Amino acid sequence: MAFNIHTSHRLLFLIPAVSYLVLVAVCAVIPAMLEQQREAEVEAPFEDALLERGRRLYRDFNCVACHTQQIRGDEALASVIEGERLIPVLKADARFGREVASRREEYAHQQPPFMGTQRTGPDLSSVGRRLPEAQWHYWHLYTPQSVSPDSLMPPHRFLFTTTQPSDDVAADYEKVLNIEGLGLPGKELWATPDARALVEYLLSLNREFIEAEGLSR
Amino acid sequence: MKIPVGIPVFVAAAGTDPKFAKMVSRWLVSAGVWLLLASAVGLLEAFRLVDPEILADHAFLTFGRLRPVHTMTMLFGWASMALVGLMFYVVAKSAWLPMNNPLTRLELISSNAALWLVNIGVGVGAIALCTGDLSGGGEYRRYPWYCMAPIFAAIGIVGVVFYRIIARRRVGAVYISCWFAMAATFWVAVVVFMGYQTFWKTGLAWVIVDGFYIHNAVGMWFTPLAVGLTYYALPKLLNKPIYSYALGVLGFFTHLVFYTVIGTHHYIHTPLPLALQTTAVIFSVAMIVPVWASTGNFLMTMKGERLAISHSYSLPFIFVGVLGYGFASLQGSFESLRSVQETLHFTHYTVGHAHFAMYVFVTFLIWGCMYGLVPRMTGREPPILLVTLHFWLALAGIAVYVVGLCIGGQVQGESWVAGEPFMESVRKTLPHMVWRSVGGALMLVSHVFFFLALWRMRPGAFTMAFTPAKGG
Ligand code: HEC
Ligand code: HEM
Repeated sequence: MAFNIHTSHRLLFLIPAVSYLVLVAVCAVIPAMLEQQREAEVEAPFEDALLERGRRLYRDFNCVACHTQQIRGDEALASVIEGERLIPVLKADARFGREVASRREEYAHQQPPFMGTQRTGPDLSSVGRRLPEAQWHYWHLYTPQSVSPDSLMPPHRFLFTTTQPSDDVAADYEKVLNIEGLGLPGKELWATPDARALVEYLLSLNREFIEAEGLSR
Repeated sequence: MKIPVGIPVFVAAAGTDPKFAKMVSRWLVSAGVWLLLASAVGLLEAFRLVDPEILADHAFLTFGRLRPVHTMTMLFGWASMALVGLMFYVVAKSAWLPMNNPLTRLELISSNAALWLVNIGVGVGAIALCTGDLSGGGEYRRYPWYCMAPIFAAIGIVGVVFYRIIARRRVGAVYISCWFAMAATFWVAVVVFMGYQTFWKTGLAWVIVDGFYIHNAVGMWFTPLAVGLTYYALPKLLNKPIYSYALGVLGFFTHLVFYTVIGTHHYIHTPLPLALQTTAVIFSVAMIVPVWASTGNFLMTMKGERLAISHSYSLPFIFVGVLGYGFASLQGSFESLRSVQETLHFTHYTVGHAHFAMYVFVTFLIWGCMYGLVPRMTGREPPILLVTLHFWLALAGIAVYVVGLCIGGQVQGESWVAGEPFMESVRKTLPHMVWRSVGGALMLVSHVFFFLALWRMRPGAFTMAFTPAKGG
């Protein structure tokens, strides 16, 4: 009677609870610990206050809702070149200017990594290389549709201030140039420190650790 | 315990402890309020994926911040509160407790406290997200820790109360609904702990925990509670036993083993260990076993009951919900395959699937159980017209939503594989974004009718007019 799971609520609690904990250990805790050990082998990037601030803004404006930072790879075509395991990029991800799929080193020490699960907008893991102009990013953040017609990206105008040409502006604001297309006649547009930090972070996204040869499709 | 179908609900409800009825009802009405709020936010987000200029000038209303307000409020405010509220009733009933005095004073007080803890967590959470504190980090755990802490405490309270009710049951065997209730509260406590621990918060270690969290939050909390409720409500409303109790037990254990290990299917084709990815895909397909053990069980129970279903205002919801469970899960198994992921991962298809599962399965089952069970507790039935409008608008809305997005996701994915410019995929899916908004608007209207109906079922003077009777 005591060992009948149908009539013992203690057993009925303990068996699913303990089995769950075991499974969680096997499928999440232990793999996470192993990854953490591997991560320790990668050197931590040096700290940069502006970049760190930009990264936090990327998190807090939740750019991850629409942008991934992962280039998926085709495991079946993996090859080993000089001891490095390289995985070519999946067809659907080939447009983002990278030849090798994302590698674990790219995410080391990132808290949290912005791999993302949805791609309403393009992948940004190498956007710093594709779009290296800070000014372009200012226009784009201010009104995405001004540089990319029909874009569904929301404008982030609250990251900017407009002034009359005669006004004084704090030194850590950066002037946005060539703003004819933004509909601000007779005004000047300034990127706030937040906008500068965010763009600094975007420009730093240039992740291709290995320039592999002969892997392009 | 059995109440023949023909007996009016106010007789079934007679003698129910009004304090208990009020406590349950508070959970349900809170859930209803969150549903309305989160639906409005969802609809706003849907509109903005057609026209991004809508309400675009305020940082606290920006798309990226309101999206988690929608998902978190739906998951923790709506679905969790509704499921837990109903589960209080189902656990007490299937433990055969006397309904004139099912909970001790302390249990009642703590259950009410848990209710407010969740409400505070969800309310403060919405404000925190809008003001830009997304330090929780991952999908479905964007709340900062100080919003999740009260919710975690509430889960603890609810788990203890469920356990105590089941421990003092007046019947030998523990009914299968209670299995799911007891296990799910423990599982979700582990899931939330894993989501908010600080040992693995960087790099791929974080990603592994993230995959685990995303999927286990859905699979080890909403699914077992919704399925558990149905194991009680369906036989009760049809006034017949469940088709096969053994199938239910099989479903329970396979669910436990298979569902736990499939989180990595959110990160296929990534640098995560291949063994984890492969395990996730294999068991995602194996999920067909627990899903169809329960779905088949429910369908067999409903077999030959066409008349009863078409004459009931609650059973149609349950019927749709059961089909939703079976087919949304089949869709999920299909989506986990590597070849399918190549095209469909990252697309709107995923959002279609998320709503198929959380809406057609979980939300419809919640509604069915509310309409079926709440009148048996409060003695008040909802106006049929409201329920009818609710049913058809919600069904039409979600059909447009899901079909629209699944086709849209396919179009989007094919455009990527074909190597067209990215903006081409955005332009091609614009019509699908419009369809989503149309479906969403129908859904929101149906939620208003639902809320009115729920309000009409709240315990009132009517319930309390009955003097407490003896026994359950
Ligand atoms: C509603 C979804 C959405 C959100 C939220 C969003 N974006 Fe975008 N983003 C897009 C879309 C769609 C595009 C493609 C069209 C374009 O260039 O505007 C895009 C393009 C971009 C590009 C250009 C990439 C390229 O390769 O052309 C950058 C850079 C960018 N977004 C950065 C951001 C940042 C930073 C945030 C957060 C502050 C953000 N996005 C939030 C949808 C979004
Ligand atoms: C009025 C009805 C609803 C509308 C209009 C709506 C709209 C939306 C929108 C626009 C998104 C964001 C999609 C994107 O970023 O592309 C979303 C995501 C989501 N919604 Fe809803 N929604 C509704 C109801 C619900 C309900 C009832 C639930 C759950 C009970 C729910 C759960 C979710 C989840 C889990 C996501 C995240 C999907 C993912 O990341 O894949 N929604 N919804």
